[in-house]
Amino acid sequence: MTTQTKPAARGIRGKTAIIGAGISEVGRVPGRSAMALAAQAALRAMADAGISRDEIDGVLSSVAFAAPFHRFSVAISEYLGIQPKFSNTLQVSGATAATMFNIAAAAIAGGLAETVLIVGGDSLLSGLTPDLALRSMTESRDQQYEMPFGIPVSNTFAMTAHRHMKEFGTTAEQFAQVAVIHREHARRTPNAQMTQPITVEDVLNSGWVATPYHKLDCSLISDGGGAFIVTSAERAKSLGIERPVYILGGGEFYTHEHIFLMPSLTTTGAVQSSAAAYAMAGYGPGDMDVAGVYDCFTGTVIMMLEDLGFCPKGEGGRFVEDGQITYGGAIPCNTHGGLLSFAHSGMPGSLFHFYEVVNQLRGLCGPRQVPDAALGLVHSLGAGFATNATTILGTEATL
Amino acid sequence: MNPVKDAHIKPLPTPDGDSEAYWQGLKRGQILLQHCLDCGHLQVYQESICRTCTSERLEHRAASGRGKIHSFSVVYRAPGPAFKNDTPYAVILVELEEGVRMISSMVECPVEDVAFDMPVELVCDPVAEDVVLPRFRPRR
Ligand SMILES: [Zn+2]
Repeated sequence: MTTQTKPAARGIRGKTAIIGAGISEVGRVPGRSAMALAAQAALRAMADAGISRDEIDGVLSSVAFAAPFHRFSVAISEYLGIQPKFSNTLQVSGATAATMFNIAAAAIAGGLAETVLIVGGDSLLSGLTPDLALRSMTESRDQQYEMPFGIPVSNTFAMTAHRHMKEFGTTAEQFAQVAVIHREHARRTPNAQMTQPITVEDVLNSGWVATPYHKLDCSLISDGGGAFIVTSAERAKSLGIERPVYILGGGEFYTHEHIFLMPSLTTTGAVQSSAAAYAMAGYGPGDMDVAGVYDCFTGTVIMMLEDLGFCPKGEGGRFVEDGQITYGGAIPCNTHGGLLSFAHSGMPGSLFHFYEVVNQLRGLCGPRQVPDAALGLVHSLGAGFATNATTILGTEATL
Repeated sequence: MNPVKDAHIKPLPTPDGDSEAYWQGLKRGQILLQHCLDCGHLQVYQESICRTCTSERLEHRAASGRGKIHSFSVVYRAPGPAFKNDTPYAVILVELEEGVRMISSMVECPVEDVAFDMPVELVCDPVAEDVVLPRFRPRR
């Protein structure tokens, strides 16, 4: 797809900008609660933006397994000493991250708040242990129709990927290649959780978790938080922010709740969520310079490359094999290493994708920098593709 | 959600107003599908309304109990201690002859033999005093 014509005004397009980004210590971070990790990220995002707490009038957050406040956004506001006039705790599983950006932009454009803190943090590794973390996530499945059969958190993603292999001939080696590329990316990222190089063979020999996935096809279990400051484009300008990153488009789509009611196991709501985001932004997949693609499992990335429009349906495996998702390829993805190798702390995991894409668009990624990156896409998803959300970001030049 | 308490006990369905008849049907050896008398839609996930046309005129009819495997995943890492001794086991997405899909698990079949499109049939498994789970085995 080529660049489409830009309409005068479309939804939230260009009305808000990300002016600050921060992440906490990530990986294995003992001695810091989920709240502490979220707070650390929030303070770093504020420092990055050069604003103080009293300039924040909105707070959006995800939930945390290790700090199970029903109203995490309210609890973290209290923890930080902020009294916002707009707040909500969002929960659409892994898709939550992108929805926070879309909703922050809409809230600011609609006058509910002027400067919103987006924040999430969890302590899955040190606060919960891996076993408890996986069990907590599994308990989000249906208590009558799914859980009695012993379905692990990997199951919905494993069955969709398995079907993709059957329908399109996608191979275990192609899945493994996704893990190898992510590890290669993580090696250039400070504080990435996993930096030991791996090969396709290593992935295939890493032992089964749930077919068709081996251990190294699965994302990590981590501690960590992420936070962002979003404000109106006018306020970003009056603050003299050097490299604001504009929210150009957003979209969501929800096709089902139960995996057995998913209309197709191999085509997801990412088709619709990204189409809405592209239309709002006035750009297509071919215009993107860099992407953050939810990578809870290797096959997830392959399916998303197709549904986000980066390659035709069924060709995701070959696209990866041809080197298209790394430097020099069509769309460098997850240049920080993703959930597979950088860190995955649950709901905040996809905030790390945002952190990387925002910094790519600001030109701050050093040895990982994609030259002249001006347009980026982040896609968050969850619950076995039940939830999909896309956000498109761009520099001032792309407005 | 309580991640510590009862982790060693397998989760069992607690029927509600929508699903009471479905779970009773399984105790008689039947999967009860909801047939919409207005539009003909079939659903295994029990609701008070038809998901296609919102009609409340739904009638239970027993499914044939036959189907085929649409997809599957063999679990090697159990979701908690309750299932640890069962690994490896195959979780399957069955497509019933009637066209609806459901989640289940495979019995009477080595995991390496489970395959796409494999014909399967219902096995009613009494897992607790008052609970029968619908599982499947290769069709004979
Ligand atoms: Zn109907």
